[in-house]
Amino acid sequence: MDLLALSMIIPQLIIAAGIVLAMLLVAWRRSQQLIANFTLFILILSLVATINGFGVDKLSVTQLLAVDDYSRFAFILVLSATMICLYLSKIMLKQVEDVHDEYYLLLLLVVLGAGILVVSDHFASLFLGFELLSIALVGLVGYCRKAPNAVETGFKYLILSASASSFMLLGIAFIYAQTGDLSFTQSSIENTGLTIPLLYQIGFMLFFSGVAFKLSLVPFHFWTPDVYQGASSPVAMLLATVSKCAMFIVLLKCCYTATNLAVLQHEKLFEFISWIAILSMIVGNSLALKQQSIKRLLAYSSIAHMGYLLIVVLISNSSGLNMAWQSVLFYLTAYLLANASIFTVITLMDRDRDVYLDVTINDWCGLFWQQPLKACLLIFSLLSFAGIPLTAGFIGKFYLVSLAANQSLWALLAALIIGSGIALAYYLPVIFSLFSQDQVSDDKHTVSMSLLEKFVVTLFIFTGLAIGIFPDAIGSVLQAI
Amino acid sequence: MTAIPLEHVLILACILFTIGFFGVIVRKNTLFMLMSLEVMLNAVGVAFIGAGSVWQQADGQVMFILILTLAAAEVAVGLALLIRLQQRFKSLDIDCLSQLKG
Repeated sequence: MDLLALSMIIPQLIIAAGIVLAMLLVAWRRSQQLIANFTLFILILSLVATINGFGVDKLSVTQLLAVDDYSRFAFILVLSATMICLYLSKIMLKQVEDVHDEYYLLLLLVVLGAGILVVSDHFASLFLGFELLSIALVGLVGYCRKAPNAVETGFKYLILSASASSFMLLGIAFIYAQTGDLSFTQSSIENTGLTIPLLYQIGFMLFFSGVAFKLSLVPFHFWTPDVYQGASSPVAMLLATVSKCAMFIVLLKCCYTATNLAVLQHEKLFEFISWIAILSMIVGNSLALKQQSIKRLLAYSSIAHMGYLLIVVLISNSSGLNMAWQSVLFYLTAYLLANASIFTVITLMDRDRDVYLDVTINDWCGLFWQQPLKACLLIFSLLSFAGIPLTAGFIGKFYLVSLAANQSLWALLAALIIGSGIALAYYLPVIFSLFSQDQVSDDKHTVSMSLLEKFVVTLFIFTGLAIGIFPDAIGSVLQAI
Repeated sequence: MTAIPLEHVLILACILFTIGFFGVIVRKNTLFMLMSLEVMLNAVGVAFIGAGSVWQQADGQVMFILILTLAAAEVAVGLALLIRLQQRFKSLDIDCLSQLKG
């Protein structure tokens, strides 16, 4: 491995070194402030290194990793989401009495897992990244030991995530048994059209099921609402953004090789994935309808959003690949921003009361009259989720619709439109309740925000608006890739 | 000595995997659920080693070592949660963990 190849993975190396140093730091002096600042420093350093690397062509680092600008952009998304999570965690951890140094270590491990996933080009590195991400997340999900549901949530996530990774591994084993090669770009199955060996098909389905669990697509979604509700808000945000973003990128990297593009057009596999996508859109949105808990609602809506995104996996010709990558990255940016905004508000509200209490829609009644800033942020991000024009979510959905229409995936397009229609029926009531006059006299929202918090909330509002009104700002960056 | 065909190895792996999977679903005791997870992971290991020896590569065995590492890490986290469970509910029954619904 030469120096050039090594310089491609500097951001990941910085995170890895940061984990070791953070561990030593814990041994040297146990101070929450110190380790939080150190984690932030490592994240910023890695972010700078990633941005610095932009513009370099795709390059393989050993046979395990391949770095290109798409993965760099995805890693920037991961790092920004983690920084927001770090900020929220600091607010949240002030209320929990346990020791907190390990929390930041686990956070860095999650980032390292995601960082390996977005650049992996081989099933072995995919597996390692996947497990780093999952096991560290189990630790984070069950972190607040005093929380009433911590053990339950942690255990559910551990058992289900471990079963999912065994399924994924069995799939990889089948693919390996058939092809004798563990890298994504296998050459041994040529594009011979319809004769894809049965073992390879089963292997690919098993592999896809394992990934679908992480993305919480419909037959594998049962853990999502429980884990979102049981985990603390910053961790739930991490699950919704970092873990899904990284998993989706690696799924695309695996599917967009010449071999697998042909494999995916195989009738059975195509139907299998289409059904998963359609079911995710419809079932995810329908189950969200009667939810009272905000976190459960967000969990179901994330199921639907991953269903929408799955459309890009099914494109048939390699000419649309650039467009597909652009749509995915734009959609993920919008999705991430909206999620981060809503979880910021939830965390700020948790701070003002019992941290282990679940936030329901009723808690937000009349919020607009007491805390207009938070309410505005909520309105913008909910509208972005729903895909209303002038928000980032609209442009993201527009990308997906035009892609689906280009590839004439009509069934998926119909499901997307029906799903978005159902989605309005649960996003809008939340917005209406923000303006309700019923419980205004209640003094539950009176705690004021500090200057920094006001700044963060305003920043989110303006970023969301800016991306919605000038989508070219990000679009041109993505086009240049 | 005749070589064992790959199909037999894969069938064995599938049988072991199914046994493990049913263990995870059916058992009520969390300790046995963790053990069943081990069975599933090791079944995959058998498949990898079988495939590796057919292709005459070390890749299969390397993957098995990685899987062993994963299994150890997972069980470490699992047992930690198990101790919390025992302390809180004085029982290892999975039915204690069904409070989240909606």
